[in-house]
Amino acid sequence: MSTAGATPAPRDEGAKLGFRLTLPAQILVLFISAFPLLMQLYISVTDWSPLSGVGWWNAWEMWNSFANYTDLAADTRFWSALQRTAIVMLVCVPAEFLLGLALAMLFADDFLGKRVFYSILLMPMMVVPAVAGYMFFMLFQSGGPVNDILARIVGAPVTIAWLSDPTLALIAVMIADIWQWTPLMFLILLAGLVGVPEDQMKAATLLGANAWQRFTTIVLPKMKTIIIIALAIRVIENFKIFDTLYIMTGGGPGVATETISVYIYKVTTQDLIWGYVAAIALAILIVLSIVAVYAMKRMAKAREVPA
Amino acid sequence: MSAIHLKNLTKSFGDFAALKTMDLEIADGEFMALLGPSGCGKSTTMNMIAGMEEPTSGRILFGERDMAGVPMGRRGVGFVFQNYAIFTHMSVRQNLAYGPRMRGAAKAEIDRRVGAVAEMLQLSPLLDRKADRLSVNILQRVAIGRSAIMEPAIFLLDEPLSNVDAAFRAVMRTELKQLQRQFRQTMVYVTHDQLEAMTMADRIAVMDHGVLQQVGTPLEVYNNPANVFVARFIGAPGMNLLKGRPAESDRGLVVDLGPLGVTPPLPDELASAVRAMRGDVLYGFRPEQVALAERGLSMPVSFVERIGARTIVHLGDGESAVKAVFENDVGLSVGQTAVVAPPASSVRIFDAATGLAVKAG
Repeated sequence: MSTAGATPAPRDEGAKLGFRLTLPAQILVLFISAFPLLMQLYISVTDWSPLSGVGWWNAWEMWNSFANYTDLAADTRFWSALQRTAIVMLVCVPAEFLLGLALAMLFADDFLGKRVFYSILLMPMMVVPAVAGYMFFMLFQSGGPVNDILARIVGAPVTIAWLSDPTLALIAVMIADIWQWTPLMFLILLAGLVGVPEDQMKAATLLGANAWQRFTTIVLPKMKTIIIIALAIRVIENFKIFDTLYIMTGGGPGVATETISVYIYKVTTQDLIWGYVAAIALAILIVLSIVAVYAMKRMAKAREVPA
Repeated sequence: MSAIHLKNLTKSFGDFAALKTMDLEIADGEFMALLGPSGCGKSTTMNMIAGMEEPTSGRILFGERDMAGVPMGRRGVGFVFQNYAIFTHMSVRQNLAYGPRMRGAAKAEIDRRVGAVAEMLQLSPLLDRKADRLSVNILQRVAIGRSAIMEPAIFLLDEPLSNVDAAFRAVMRTELKQLQRQFRQTMVYVTHDQLEAMTMADRIAVMDHGVLQQVGTPLEVYNNPANVFVARFIGAPGMNLLKGRPAESDRGLVVDLGPLGVTPPLPDELASAVRAMRGDVLYGFRPEQVALAERGLSMPVSFVERIGARTIVHLGDGESAVKAVFENDVGLSVGQTAVVAPPASSVRIFDAATGLAVKAG
C-alpha cells in the first residue's frame, strides 16, 4: 500500500495473510460461540435427552418436527415464569438505577468519611451470589433478624413468613438483588457523573439554569451512553437471575418465585428433557438479543445527533 | 450596561491570600484587562465578579448595586471560559438558546433572539451544526453569542485565547475587539499575555501576588510604569534597570552606575525629584529606546538574537545586564563592545529601596 497506482495484488495478499494469521482465533471464536449455538438449535428440534441412549450427534433419530416449540407456546409454566422474570426486572433494574444514581450524585461531591462509605458501598457486589443468597435466606427467616428489627420498631412480636408467602418471597428475592447490584449501577453511573465537564455546569449556572435544569439539560444527556450501558448490563443480568434466588426460595413456595432460569434449571435437572430445554434457552436468547441490539442502536444514536 | 466597582476586595483560601486587596473602578462600556503572571489573583478577582467565589471581605458594586449574596445566575454577567465550555452535546442553536430557554422564554421569542445573535456573529449557516465539531474561532463566537443573547451588562473573559495557537491568536484578537465594539458592554478580560492586553484593552490593571500594581491605558503602563514589577513585566523584553547612586556633576544630576560609569544627566524635572529622595536608585530605560552613541554606557556584547524585523542585543551580564532592541541588524557580534545611550526623555528612575517610580516634577 506504499506506492500509488500499484496493482491490487499486494492488497489481496495482505488480506490473505491477515486471514491466515487470524484463522486460529477465528476457529476458537467459532468453537465457543457458533458451535454451541448450532448444537442447541439441532437438539431443540428433537426429543433428545442424556438418558435416551444415543449420542447428541445422533439426535436426528428423535426428530419431533418442532414439537418443542409448539409445546413451549402452550406451556403456561414457561409463560408465567417469563412474566415473573419481567416483573422482577421491572422492579429491580429501575430501583437499582435510581438508588445508584442518587448515590453517585452524593459521591460526586466530597463529604466526611467518603472513602470509607465508598468501600462499604461496593462490598455487596463482591459477595459471592450464593453466599448472599444464604445470608438473605437467614435474614428473612420468621425468627430472623428482619422480623426481629421490625418487632423492635413496632414494639410487638413480628412473625412474618417471608419466604413461604408467595408475594413476600418475591419481594424478599428482589430486595436481595437490589442490595447486591445497586453498587454496580452506582459505580458505572459515578464514572459517568464525574465525566460531566465542570465548566459546562458552571456555564449553565451562569446562564440561569437551576439545579434541576442543569441535571436534565447537561448531566443526563452527557450520561446517556453510560446510562444505556448500565441499564443494558443490568437488564441482561437480571433476566438471568438465579443463584441468590435459588438458594433463598428454590423457586418456591410452589412456583411463586420461579423465574425463567430456575425453570430451565428444573427442567434440565429434574425432567431431563434437553431438547425442550434447548428450545426454551433459544427463545430467551432471542429476547435478550433484541434488548442488546436495541441498546447498541440507542448508543450509536446518542453519539451521533444532539439531544 | 454597568460600571463595576471593587472596594477593598480580598480573598483568602485558608492561609493563602489569593487577593490581598483590590480597589478598582471599571467604567461603563470599558474594556479592562486584568494582566499578571499566574497566581497573581486575576482569575480570583474575575470569579468573584461572576459570583463563582465569595469575597473574604470587601464589596463588589455593579453600578450602585451591591452584589453580595446575589447568586451567579442572577448577576447579569456573561462569562467566556478559557476553553469556552460549549455544551458539546447540543447544536449551535441549542447552545445559543440555552439561557432564554432556562428562563422560560417563549419559543418564538427564543427563535427571534437566536436569529439576531447568530446574524451578528455570522453563525447563521452553522446553527444546526453539532457543537463538538467546530473550529476554535467558531467556538469562541458561540461562547460569546451564548452569553450575549442574555444581554448581560458585563462580559467576563477568562484567558479565552490561551488554547489557541499563536498564528491564529492575532485573528482572534481582532475579532474579539470588533465584537466588543459591536456589543458596547463592559468587558473584563483576564490574561497573562501582555500583547492581548495591550492590543485590546482600554485600560490595563497589572497585578502581582494578589496586589494591584498599576491601572492605566496600555501606553501609560508601558511608558510610565508605577513600579519595578510593572517596568519588568510590560514590554518584551522588559525595561532595563540598572542600580546606581545619584551624583552631582557639572552637567547636572547623573546616576553613578559604578563600573559602568556615569549616565548622561537627567532631565531637570526628574533630577529635582531624585534630589528630593535619598538612597540608591534604579536607572530604567526601554530596550527599544536604546541607541548606539558616541558617549554613553560602554558594554561588551554577550549575545545577539536576530528575530527578523528586530535584533535583540544582550549587553553585559549579571546585575548590570542590559538588552537593546534595534529595528535593523546593527552588525554587532559577541565580544565587541557597544556604546549605548538611552535618550534622556525616556529614562525612568525608581527608588531602589521601595521599587516605586520617582515621578518627575
